[in-house]
Amino acid sequence: MGDIALEVEHVSIDYRNLMHMSLHQGLLRGDVKRADIIRAVNDVSFTVEKGKILGIVGRNGSGKTTLLRSIAGIFRPDEGYIDTKGNRVSLMAIGIGFNASNTGRENILKSGMLLGCELNYVKEHMEEIIEFSELGDFIDRPVRTYSSGMYSKLSFAVTAILDTDIMLVDEVLSVGDEHFRKKSYAKMEELMMSNRTVLIVSHATETLKKFCDSILWINDGNFMRLGDTEDVLSEYDEFMKL
Amino acid sequence: MNERMKKIFGLARLFVVIMGIIGTIVIAVYQFDNRNIKMTLVTDEGNQHIFLSNDFIADGQFETFLFEDVNEIKLKKIRFYGNWESILLKELNFGGIATYVSTVDGGTMNWEEDGIVFTGDGKVSFVMDTLFVEMVQELSASFLQERIVMIGLVIAIAAMAVIICNGIQEKCMADNRDNHGPISEMSRFFRDIRHYWQYMVFSARADLKAEVADSYLNRLWWLLEPFFNMLVYVIVFGQVMGSSVENYATFVFSALLMWNFFNKIVGYSVKLVRSNKDIVTKVYIPKFIILMSNMILNFMKLLFSMIVLIVMMILFRVHIGINIFWFFPAYIVMMMLAFGAGMIFLHFGVYVDDLSYAVGILLNMLMFLSGIFYDVMTTLPEPLNGIMICLNPAAMFVDTMRQALLNNVAANLPVLGMWFLIGAVMCYIGVHIVYKNENSYVKVV
Repeated sequence: MGDIALEVEHVSIDYRNLMHMSLHQGLLRGDVKRADIIRAVNDVSFTVEKGKILGIVGRNGSGKTTLLRSIAGIFRPDEGYIDTKGNRVSLMAIGIGFNASNTGRENILKSGMLLGCELNYVKEHMEEIIEFSELGDFIDRPVRTYSSGMYSKLSFAVTAILDTDIMLVDEVLSVGDEHFRKKSYAKMEELMMSNRTVLIVSHATETLKKFCDSILWINDGNFMRLGDTEDVLSEYDEFMKL
Repeated sequence: MNERMKKIFGLARLFVVIMGIIGTIVIAVYQFDNRNIKMTLVTDEGNQHIFLSNDFIADGQFETFLFEDVNEIKLKKIRFYGNWESILLKELNFGGIATYVSTVDGGTMNWEEDGIVFTGDGKVSFVMDTLFVEMVQELSASFLQERIVMIGLVIAIAAMAVIICNGIQEKCMADNRDNHGPISEMSRFFRDIRHYWQYMVFSARADLKAEVADSYLNRLWWLLEPFFNMLVYVIVFGQVMGSSVENYATFVFSALLMWNFFNKIVGYSVKLVRSNKDIVTKVYIPKFIILMSNMILNFMKLLFSMIVLIVMMILFRVHIGINIFWFFPAYIVMMMLAFGAGMIFLHFGVYVDDLSYAVGILLNMLMFLSGIFYDVMTTLPEPLNGIMICLNPAAMFVDTMRQALLNNVAANLPVLGMWFLIGAVMCYIGVHIVYKNENSYVKVV
């Protein structure tokens, strides 16, 4: 079929349990013990074809978000490699780089540029974003005056409209009111029809069934199954019942 | 083959380090000849230079000062320079001068507010005492400042040589694909700046606007804040404390502007990753971009304060001259040091929770050591003043900037140059460790 848009090969990601450390601890203890390393993602490989939508399921804490973040380039995997084939990747998250005192318009520009778009490109799509976000006059007011629904709508609109080749969606389809949710679904469907590659992390099996071409299931960082939506989801449901 | 190359480069680095250590030791113990001294007398009729060769100083026959064809002269300061014309060895203000004067030939000596006036008939001449002669002889023999500066230069050059060595190694060993050699990191650094330039500027502007967005006086605050700060300094320091320094309010205000910039950048960098958690955990952005954006923000504020400073200089009738251009190199070196130190603190600030307290205290101490409120050269005892100017970068850049701005004195070029090189090395080290470790920052916050 199509070209491969994303290749994930034997990726492992560690979390070192040094977390926060005070000067006092640092001076007394020296460095951290090797045993404190936690493996969040263990030897996961898969490929996604261009224009396909892949759902990722798994229990809480099984490394789904970690995996998405490393695909988005926020950190590099400790082992293995991720090849995005030169595609631009964006992690759809709530309020990237939003400053609550700035107006919605300024935040759209800031957020857009953080996603790697040119200033002019974001400006060109400004009207489209504002329209999609349904904010109306609120767009010129500071973001801190927004309700939480409006806030999520704005940030969803930014990532949905600005054209990145690979989109990573982490549980944000439940934003806004019923009307906006329907619109988001419609947008997702539109994206699916267009040539964008999408990775969705979600617990909502209904959503996944509706959109995804295939499903990746990881459990405690380990690769469980990758395959057809119906098959994997039913197996996953079976597993979760226990 | 590769193992051998690695060995060769390892040896080259070792060689550079050993040369650096040898150079340092040689400079520290080498017996320099006594040197010539240049005295600059700052008078109400302009500066006069007196050159004393080392033989002349050894004879000790220079205690008489003679000004031809004048009936009176007001002496404000005497500055002493050594071999490197711009290294200030000692500065005597008029109070200091008076203690060395023994007699005035055919005239009188009077104190005035901003100088000491010698009178005479047709010519003014006064004689200094033997302490003065001994003091100059001592200056001629001591090479403390030069030694410090040269050692600093040797260390900075050795560090650069090691970096260049790494760069050559990176070029030669094509399979060395860890992407953390100096060449790939430098090109990545400049590529990132180009790529994120629009974001940096826009975000700085938006943040600046956000700070005042809904206050009543809005943008006026950018002018009002420095203006009222200035008023405080004029009243408190100029009138109440009545210091011996000329134009004390301008003296303090100009230094504080510079210090505040440095202080804010370094203080901010320690908490940078944490306070920008929203950005850092959601997209990849080179961390120095956030720091630079903050520098641009503070630079914009600085420009507003500069307007107030210029107004102040006009009001207090500060005489400026060509040496005012040293103001800019001083600021550039300061920004390089702020960026370099900021990047290094940024890295450690991620892992160590309470580093921001420690850095806060450190910066506070540094502020009082750097002569924001006093003149390092004349206030601190010898030889502490010279050491402070050479080794404390904050004292160095504040002093250089202020001397250029208010006294039309050329920069202490060797010291400025030394800190420029050290600043460049610090910037490289900072960028290097942040590039190398930024992957794990997200996992910690």
